[in-house]
Amino acid sequence: MPTPFIKMVTVTIFLGTAWAQANSRGNPEADAVAITALPNPVAKSYRRMVAGMDLFERRRHLAPAASLRFKLLPRNRNTDMKDVELEINGDSFAAAVAVAPDHTFTLERNGIGLKENAAVTPNRKAGTMTWRAEIRTPGLPPNTRRLGDLRLECEVGMEARLISNYRPLLFGLLDPLLREGPAYCHRAEPRYLFFADRPLFGVTLVDGARREVVPVDRLYAGASRDREWKEDLRYCDCEVLMDRAYFMPLGDPSWPNDTLVEFEYM
Amino acid sequence: MTPWLNLSTCKAVLAACACVSGCALLQPPRTAADAPLRPGEIISAAHAKDTVVIGKSTKAEVRAALGEAVVVDFDSGYEVWVYREKPSDKDKKEKKAASPRTELVLLFEPSGILAKTRIR
Repeated sequence: MPTPFIKMVTVTIFLGTAWAQANSRGNPEADAVAITALPNPVAKSYRRMVAGMDLFERRRHLAPAASLRFKLLPRNRNTDMKDVELEINGDSFAAAVAVAPDHTFTLERNGIGLKENAAVTPNRKAGTMTWRAEIRTPGLPPNTRRLGDLRLECEVGMEARLISNYRPLLFGLLDPLLREGPAYCHRAEPRYLFFADRPLFGVTLVDGARREVVPVDRLYAGASRDREWKEDLRYCDCEVLMDRAYFMPLGDPSWPNDTLVEFEYM
Repeated sequence: MTPWLNLSTCKAVLAACACVSGCALLQPPRTAADAPLRPGEIISAAHAKDTVVIGKSTKAEVRAALGEAVVVDFDSGYEVWVYREKPSDKDKKEKKAASPRTELVLLFEPSGILAKTRIR
């Protein structure tokens, strides 16, 4: 029986994998990825990631001055994030992708990769890393993010199915959510997890003179709502990023895209 | 007739019942304020904040002063303790229970000393 923590947090976390599996049931080859290096790597569909890039172009009015990168994040305590290598692997080719020191990268559009339904494959096994979109407007004050950037990160992340998790039990319960895709991000309080650069103590939304401290329930993946949160932690791709994790009221129109998200770190 | 069913016994039982019922009727209804605090609940976040000292209070001292908190502890050794104000009868009548209650959030360093506080 899933605990409230699972219901509240990992429902969203499971979306990427669950959706991919649900989709593959209808069309088994649609998003199948070809693995050529490690057995069971933490790979993503190149097509899906390009679809996320397309969505970024369509919706970039949310973050007009920002560019899109993808980011690799550690998924468990033993993950070595040094010297992560990334490749696009198709049936007939393999192309290296440059990974920056902050573990971000961009993808180029490759017609053969789309045709061959290539995989974006790091040299790490499944369960060791997770993925997010990284959309940052330059020139923001220190220790802040911009809400429009986060809105677009959620939409790209949902479209590209970046979130990684590994609990199959809830797949059947997720169908209504899975059909939402990027629209899930338009909910007032979507459970899409963002990760700050450092451990958080507080998050405040600021729009001109309006300031609102985010409830602690929206930090730490909602752990303060559930005393048994640790039991389900291994199913969350926030496992080693709990102290940096937060939700945002993405679908609340009273907060404009230029709203600043201020972080107070531990 | 058996002794316990005689008329005087019946009268005594009825009188006792009447007394008990009367007491129950006269008793004021239980309010939210009467209910004991649950773990992580406090009466006043502002008052609770005044009882702790950043850079000095230990976890044991805070627990003794405020009771058990909802604790979120991290691998780094930091701990976040959360206390929420107990909803009042007025809050319940106005159905505020579903909205976030006033909360006091405490951050403990790995050393166990209080590092930061926040009321929301």
